[in-house]
Formats: sequence, structure tokens, C-alpha cells
Amino acid sequence: MSPLHSGSLEEFIPASQTELSRYITENAATSQKQLFPVGGRTSLSVCCPSSQSGIQICTSQLSRVIDYPIRDMTITVEAGLRLDQLNEIISAEGQRLPIDVPQSNRATVGGVIATNTCGPKRFSYGTIRDYVIGISAIDGTGNLFKSGGRVVKNVAGYDLAKMLVGSLGTLAVISQVTLNLRPIPETMSMVWFAFDSCQTVERALAALITSGTRPTAIEYCNSKAARQIAAESRFELPSEHHVICLCYEGPENVVKWQANKIIDEWNAFSPLSSQIVESDHATRLYNAFTEYQTSSDDPVTLKAVVLPSQMMKFVEAATELNIAIQAHAADGIVFGHLPDSASSLEDVRQLLSQLKKEIDPKTGHLTIYQCESEWAALLPLFCAPPPGWDLMKQLKNSLDPGLLLNAQRFTDLVET
Amino acid sequence: MVEPTNQTMTHAAPLLEELEAGTPPFSALVQKLTQLVGKDGILFDADELLVYECDGYIVDKTAPDIVVFPASTEQVSATVKLCNQFNVPFLARGAGTSLSGGCLPIGGGVMIVLTKMKKILEINLRDRYAVVEPGMVNLHLTNALKGTGYHYAPDPSSQGSCTIGGNIATNSGGPHTLKYGVTTNHVLGLEAVMPDGTIIELGGPTAEVPGYDMHGLYVGNEGTFGICTKATVRLTRDPESLRTMLAVFQTIADATKSISAMIAAGIIPAALEMMDQGIIQAVEEAFHFGFPLDAGAVLLIEVDGLEIALDEEVRQILEICHACNVRDIQSANTPEERLLIWKSRKQAFGAIGRLSPSYCTQDGVVPRTRLPEILEFIEETSQRFGLRIVNVFHAGDGNVHPILLFDERDQKQIQTVLEASEAILEKCLELGGSVTGEHGIGVEKINFMSRIFNKTDLATMETVRNLFNPRQICSRDKVLPQHQTDEKSSIAQSHPTRRAPH
Repeated sequence: MSPLHSGSLEEFIPASQTELSRYITENAATSQKQLFPVGGRTSLSVCCPSSQSGIQICTSQLSRVIDYPIRDMTITVEAGLRLDQLNEIISAEGQRLPIDVPQSNRATVGGVIATNTCGPKRFSYGTIRDYVIGISAIDGTGNLFKSGGRVVKNVAGYDLAKMLVGSLGTLAVISQVTLNLRPIPETMSMVWFAFDSCQTVERALAALITSGTRPTAIEYCNSKAARQIAAESRFELPSEHHVICLCYEGPENVVKWQANKIIDEWNAFSPLSSQIVESDHATRLYNAFTEYQTSSDDPVTLKAVVLPSQMMKFVEAATELNIAIQAHAADGIVFGHLPDSASSLEDVRQLLSQLKKEIDPKTGHLTIYQCESEWAALLPLFCAPPPGWDLMKQLKNSLDPGLLLNAQRFTDLVET
Repeated sequence: MVEPTNQTMTHAAPLLEELEAGTPPFSALVQKLTQLVGKDGILFDADELLVYECDGYIVDKTAPDIVVFPASTEQVSATVKLCNQFNVPFLARGAGTSLSGGCLPIGGGVMIVLTKMKKILEINLRDRYAVVEPGMVNLHLTNALKGTGYHYAPDPSSQGSCTIGGNIATNSGGPHTLKYGVTTNHVLGLEAVMPDGTIIELGGPTAEVPGYDMHGLYVGNEGTFGICTKATVRLTRDPESLRTMLAVFQTIADATKSISAMIAAGIIPAALEMMDQGIIQAVEEAFHFGFPLDAGAVLLIEVDGLEIALDEEVRQILEICHACNVRDIQSANTPEERLLIWKSRKQAFGAIGRLSPSYCTQDGVVPRTRLPEILEFIEETSQRFGLRIVNVFHAGDGNVHPILLFDERDQKQIQTVLEASEAILEKCLELGGSVTGEHGIGVEKINFMSRIFNKTDLATMETVRNLFNPRQICSRDKVLPQHQTDEKSSIAQSHPTRRAPH
């Protein structure tokens, strides 16, 4: 039993997707127990509250590489393959999956899809939805289905992989995936800027729209988060104020040129300081940004998705509430670690309701990203129904008519 | 394999009414639709309907009974509700450039043409998105963005006429998909009229929305999930600079090897288009670009990005091409020279028109490294069937477009084309590929679906389709093959092929 869980949970560890398909078919026909698909267990606090009873479907044995035609730059793997294992195999060939995944020594390919995990590079490379070119999964009645294929361009049939992105194990158990890969760039550098106010940050971000440089990631953090990220990267960086850190990838001369150019461009906004971070330091700093969204031991981490132009307004309000903020700034994706002072569920609810006021309900979304496991069942993950929520409910009922796949979590997703 | 649930398999095909001109229901529907969209927004004379009997796929033809041109989402919704009330089938049409019969009105009924809904509703550069109506022509959006430093990335070859709504239905690609992705990678959200007339919104202008990726599921539905009435699309930064090259190779194998080597070296060209000997000769006969007639393959290579990066990329590409026995390689030094290089690619189809009264373009995909095998097979097929086949295609994606030349007045030749096409697509599957990279299944390749997917896959796709379109009242008999047990009437299923007008 996982230590994260206080409910009554057994484990089933399938050795193949056909075995899993048989198991789920039988479960649907006979015992009808709740099934909880788990990969690296990095997101269970929100995906699968601890009070649940049922069976965890562990994909740890589904970790084979099925096919890796290197020169085609695609790879077919089972869903339980860990990200660090995948990275090791493909980086040996100069290739990568350009998705940043925290805790990659635990997180699995299937889990990344089910939780739609991504990080700083999403600005320039997109998210996991853009790299899954084929998928196999098993629905709540045991049907093992696939869509897509193994080639990078393919429009035969409906794109069922998309519906599994962000599905939190409530729609089907992802069993096998074909991914499109990209070449590893020659080098990467980061440029760390400190600004005095949210308003200056917003002006600088707005100017990036027509910058002569092409950053691959644009990260913002407030001073509370900046201190933690700088400490994690083991590098002295000014973190007293608002920080924007830009990432550049490519051939060395091109990266250098861009780093100097952006410092030049942003002189117009009078940064308090700016610093180019290169080589190993850059890698450590980048990793600190990637890990930060799941790193802290704070009681609740929230995620807000807003229009980039509205983001700093939200950030300012959150900073006033003593929340540590990191944001994928050009995408309007904000992670907020609530302060330790939010020690009761009531405190958390209070903070959430204050933050909700800062979000335009038409174009913004506030969700819980991680939380104390005993609170998970009591906090809806989505603070409002997302567009298409009715259809999502119907889709859930169609693919899992017995409501056996992490069904309670799905029911509780939205605050009513 | 697990058998699909009964629920899915027994989902009965709808019994839809057939409209007949002059009957009371027909007249009543025409009257109500006219009230809705006005006299200028409806056609029902047989002569006027002829234009709408097929799209770019001309093998199957069937005219709709009524064509309407709504001007708003509300009018689309009201039209759809009337179709439900009269129990007649309907489907959407953009510019009608589908190459797979996506807008073939099977069973007649009402065709909802969206070309009046062509406004740009919003351009927001700060948040990098635009909101457009579905009848907006793809190229018009990019033209409207000129000077802003941004563009809409998906650029199908028909981008001068095809619509964004149609692109969403078919998940269109284009020459620049290797680097920039296809339509689904650029659609953030959409508004759609469901097949029962209700209006839904999926996704939105933000980078993501919580929950299942429903707009991602919607893209590529080929018109079977309802009618997209508004799209929020991502805008892409223009590259600072471009370099375009034309490389002549002795063999296709050498050209393919150079493609893999470029990508392995970390260069992702913005476009990588290949022309084989057959098309080189055709283009040369027609336009005299100066290509050597004995060359095995010509590769159009375009890289884009920051000016400072491009010289080195070009140097690497030249080095790779030389290592792969390139015979000759030219670089465009001026915008005029670049246009000339692209002209040779873009006029390839025009050149074919001079060679043959009719032609049929296929859309198979193979893993990039299997290109020599599929092209060799296409050559063998050409000889075996005594049929001229030439190739011009998106080599970087492994997306081949064999063009089969024939005379449509000769029934025997049509049959030969059908058989040769089928053999080629079958071979694409055998090599681990797909029968369609960007044109769609439509009605054309529907028979291939059960060869690509097993019963459970198809049943799951049907379950999903039924979520949107349970009665198949909207764009019926597309994408998914009918169950053998179904007894509904429909046109005889098409064979996999396409003939374009000459």
C-alpha cells in the first residue's frame, strides 16, 4: 500500500496491456471496484485522494521500449516508462522529448499525459499533446483501443489521444504511447533580470512580443520564489524583487548573441540588475525552474491559467497574500505555493476565494495543483467548470459507464 | 481482443427523411430557411445545386437538396434545429477544397455553406491569438497579420481558397508542418453548433483549460461532430530570415539520406519538399527551369530563423548534401530567386495538367527513412499497371503524394488507377505508415479504416462520435465505416482514389 493512502487500496501490477485489459474487463463484469491508475505517484495527492478504497493499477511493469527507429525520431514505449529512463535512451542519440517534467526519476510517460504536465519550454515547444502521435489505452469496461499511429503526420480517424491529455486517470488507463522527438540543441543559456515592480515586468513582457530574440522559455518569479529557485540552483542571484529569467537554446554563437541582445533591448525598462547564466549553472538553474512547481512542502500549490496580458495583475494580488509565485510568463500559467500560515482548510478556502476575484471567469482558470493528501478529497480541483464540462461528463460516462475509473475524483473535480 | 460493448454496436443508424423537391415538407423547410437567412442566402434550384455536388474529390457526386449561407452562429444553430425538426441530414462546407469527399452530401439534405462567415473577430498580439469565423480563408488571416511580425502557421497548398473551419475539420497540414506542426497544434479553442443545434464552447484563448482536451479531440473530426462556428487560433512569430536551396540528387536514396542527416544534425528545416524524376521532367517540359532531366530527385530545402544562425545552418546543409552525393545545389540569393525556386514546386500540378487530362493524388505517409522503399514501390506499381505516376511531396514528414496520370474518359483507366492507388496505400501501411497525412478519410478512404484499426478502436471512435452526433444527422457516413449489420441505404462506398478536374 502506498504511504500516501489511508483508504483501503490493493495493487494490481499488469505485465502487459492485454493482461490489464482482461483485468479491467473482469472487474467491470464482477467486483466493480474503483480503479486508480498510477505511474510514478508524483501527482497522487490531487489525482487520487487518500480516503479512497479500491485498486491501484500500477504501470511499473509496463516500461518496455517497443520500437525506436532512431533516424525517424519517433519512439514507441509502454506508458509506465519513467521519464529519466526515456531521456537516457533518447539523449544517447542526440534526441529529446522537449517537455519539462518535475521529478523525472519517478514520473512516467503515461502520468505526464494524464496530468498534462509541462514546464518552462512549453512556450516554444508546446505541451505533451503536441508530441503524442499514437496512443493505446483501456477504458473502464476493459476495451483496449488505439488511435493515431507511428508516423509524424497522420489524420486517419479521430484523435483520441487528445481526450486523454489531462484526463487524470478518469477516462482510460494509458498503456502505450508513440512520441515524436526533437534534436537536442547545442547549448542553452539563461538571462536573469530583476525588476522593481509588477508594472515594469508587464511592460518588459509586452515588449518581448516583438523582441529581436527568440527565447525558448520566459519564466517569472516573485522574490519569495526567486530566493528558493536561486538557492536550489546553488548560484548567487539577486532575488529581492521581481525576476524574469529568459532561456535561449541553439548554437553557441546564436545563444550568446541573443543573451546580449535582450540585455540591450531591456535596458529601456531599467532593470535593477541583469546577469547571463551559462553552461552547468544554466542547467542547474533551468532544472530548479522545472522542479519548483512541485518542490515545496507547502500545504497547497495552486495553478492559474490566465491571458498573459492579465497575468501580472493576478501575480500582484497573489504576492500581497504572501504566495510564492512562479509563472511561465508568456503562456499566462502561474504556480502559487500558499504560505505555511495557511494552516487550515478554512484558510486555504479563504485565500482561494480572494484569488478567484482576480481572475476573469471568461478567460481564466484557477485549479489546485498539489495539496495535503487529507485535504484533497475536500477541495475541488477546478474552481469553476471549464468550457465543455457537460461534454466531458458525457465522455466520462461513455468510456467508463460503470464509473469505475477514479470516479469520485472526477465527480469532485468542479466546485459546485 | 475485447469485444466492444453492446451499447456501441447496436447504436442504430438513423432513419432520415429524403427530401423531394416540390413536396410539402420540402416547401415548408425552404420557406422556414428563407425566413431565417433571406432569399439571398438559400439555393434550391437543381441547376444551382450542381456546383455543390462534390468537392476536390470528384469520383462520388451527389447534390444537396438545399444550400444555405448563414451569416451568424445563431443562423447556423437555427438551420440545424430546422433540419432536426424535419429530420433531414445536413453538413457543413467551407470552400469545398477537400480531397477526400469531406463535403459530399450523402443522402442529400441541407448543405450549410459558411463562406459568409468570414470575419476576423479579434486579433490579440499581446496574448498571441486571433478569433476568426469559420469561413475565413486561411491566407486572408496571414495577410491581415502582415506587418505585425506574426502569422498563422498552418499553410495547406490550397491556402488561397480553403477556410479555417475546413482546416479544423480536416486537421490540415502543408509544406511547413515539419517545423511548425499541423492545424491541431495551433487551435486553442472553438465555438461549435452541435448536431442538435445547441451551441458549445471548447478550449479558449488561454494556453490551456482544465480537464480533457476537448478542442483537441474536435480538430480533425471531418465535419462529423457538428459545425465549427468560431475558432481561436494561435499566432506564430514570423522568422527573421529565410534561406532557400534547391539540391539535385542522382538518386532518391541519396536525397532521403540527406534529409535524415540534416534532422539528425539538429536542423529542422521549415520546408523539405521532394520532386522525383517524373515530376522533374514534367516541370521541365512545361516551364524550363533548367533541371537536369536525368536527375533522380530534386530537394527544395528552406531553413528559417534568426539571421545570425542561418549561414551556419546553410553551411551544414551544403556539407551534408555533398556527403550524400549531391550533383548540384543552388541557393537563392534574392527574394526573386527564392520565389523562382518555390515556383517550380508550386507549379508542379500545373505541369501535370499539360501532361495528362486527369490525375489522382494520393496522401500516404511512411516513416521518413522508408521513403526510398515506398518510392521504389510506386515506380514498380507504375510499371506493373502501365500507368504514369509522378511524385512531389513533403519529404521531411514522410508524406508522399503520388500523382497517378490517366484519362477519366476511359473507364478501364479509372479502374487501373483505383487498383494502383490501393496497392500504394496498402504498402504505406505495411511500411508502418498511414493512408492519409493531411487529406482525411472522408468517403474516399473509408474502406481502409478497418485495415488500420480493429473493431475495438473503431467502436471507441464511434462512441466518441455518438457523443456529438448520435443520429448521424450531421455529415453522415464519413470517417467510420458502417457496420455490416446496418441496413441503412447510402451511396455505394467509394474506392480509395481521387480524380481532380483537369
